[in-house]
Amino acid sequence: MSVTRDEVLRIARLAELDVDEDALPELADQMSRILDYVAQLSAVPANGSVKVFVPGADAIRFRADEVIPSPLAFGPKEFAPAFKEGFFVVPRLDQFE
Amino acid sequence: MSDAKAVADRLMKVKRLNALLTPPKDLRKSLSVQAAAARPTGVLYGMPVAVKDNICTLEFTTSCGSRILEGYRSPYDATAIAKLKAAGALIAGKTNCDEFAMGSSTEHSAYGRVIHPLDKTRVPGGSSGGSAALVGAGVVPAALGSETGGSVRQPASFCGVVGIKPTYGRVSRYGLVAFGSSLDQIGVLGRSVHDAARVLSVISGRDSRDATCEDRDPLRLPTVPESLQGFVVGLPREYFPPELDPAVRRACERAVRLMKEQGAAVREVSLPHTAYAVPTYYVIAPAEASSNLARYDGVRYGPRFDGAADLRTLYRTTRGQGFGPEVRRRILVGTYVLSAGYYDAYYRRAQQMRALIAQDFRNVFDRGVDLLFTPTTPTPAFKAGEKLGDPIAMYLSDIFTVTANLAGLPAMSIPIGQVKGLPIGGQLIGQAFLEDEMIEAAYALERVVPATDEA
Repeated sequence: MSVTRDEVLRIARLAELDVDEDALPELADQMSRILDYVAQLSAVPANGSVKVFVPGADAIRFRADEVIPSPLAFGPKEFAPAFKEGFFVVPRLDQFE
Repeated sequence: MSDAKAVADRLMKVKRLNALLTPPKDLRKSLSVQAAAARPTGVLYGMPVAVKDNICTLEFTTSCGSRILEGYRSPYDATAIAKLKAAGALIAGKTNCDEFAMGSSTEHSAYGRVIHPLDKTRVPGGSSGGSAALVGAGVVPAALGSETGGSVRQPASFCGVVGIKPTYGRVSRYGLVAFGSSLDQIGVLGRSVHDAARVLSVISGRDSRDATCEDRDPLRLPTVPESLQGFVVGLPREYFPPELDPAVRRACERAVRLMKEQGAAVREVSLPHTAYAVPTYYVIAPAEASSNLARYDGVRYGPRFDGAADLRTLYRTTRGQGFGPEVRRRILVGTYVLSAGYYDAYYRRAQQMRALIAQDFRNVFDRGVDLLFTPTTPTPAFKAGEKLGDPIAMYLSDIFTVTANLAGLPAMSIPIGQVKGLPIGGQLIGQAFLEDEMIEAAYALERVVPATDEA
């Protein structure tokens, strides 16, 4: 499995992640090697006879439908990069994709 | 108050390890405030417990070893932290770790690598390397870490301390910064089985704030058994491959002999899908990480890398500059394996393989085996820089630990010997929610194994 430079760029866009032009060849190489390595998983029979794993308890546990307060020691104003009049402030959306 | 001061002094003395991210001034001040407020009736009264930097605390910052959360202060305590405080423990600062717990050497922290307490040219393991180094250096009796693929047991093994990863669902994850949600658990590192176990018993138990935390009472602490009479210990042959480090093999063989002398029945068993555990993990963990780490976008918390004229650019520059190379690599691999056309080939297959790995364990336990014993890691602590250029070589240092995470089982590492002064860890893997049996066996082994003797 060989990941190309363009594929890395496409994936990086999906992940909303800027990637340096200089870093692209090494990233493409490392991703290819990792994907080659995990390709061993094709040993799983493809006919769907193996169920997928679900972690934790076998059944969903229901609980009372009530609001449990999660008190915060301070509000978002203290930790947000930009916060004004109860809103997180962001630059405008350039275009809808 | 003198206790708090002594703790702070001890922590400052090992500054060279770069294991602690909390500035000395903040730590001193906070420890004396905490000591004054601690409940004298608590079972951990006055016990200093260092905390990995990916667990939220009201005291100190929670940066996850990342630039993207540099200076972030949590507005709440994780449930594990609230329980520690209620038991009278002191939160003794935040420990350095691989960024977002992604790594096996604590070289992937944005705040510099952690030094092994016994050999400055080597790594302490990871990702809870700061916690392991502080316990290994004798500075604190216990520390919290977290595990997704072995991040408590592997550094415990490298630093010569005890590390316990409980069953998935045993400890609340409210306030643990999410990495791989189907795998993550908070774990404990301690200088002895008892220190680790008593902290674990305090932080375990139900929590209405975490739906994945099982509705069970806190772990009951077992007593130290007279012998291992009645225990059936399995040795999975896949964990003793021909290429295993000879000193690690010798230490394991000695530990097995001692368990037999204590009355344990020992038999060889097989977990045939073991070889697929690391590839399975390196699909599931990055996939879940790419989703969990989508929340760091420069909008709600952490620093923002400014200058962006529009929102997409803000996201991309903040994330591009805020995440280090290993985290970027995993986000990209995770996004790739979840992207259209690849989901069935990678993620679905990995979840199926995971079911086969979990079934391997069930088969062995169903045949009367109580516990498994294995080496914790294939080698003792490796040199700094040795595996940095080769992600797969780094991933393979988790080969013996990652299976317990995939199957959701409790497991622990205890020191069983040394080679040229470097600690070797032996691993016990238990059955789900039977941590007490596993800890009982560890007590018995700890009592007889010459942990600091050459193997």
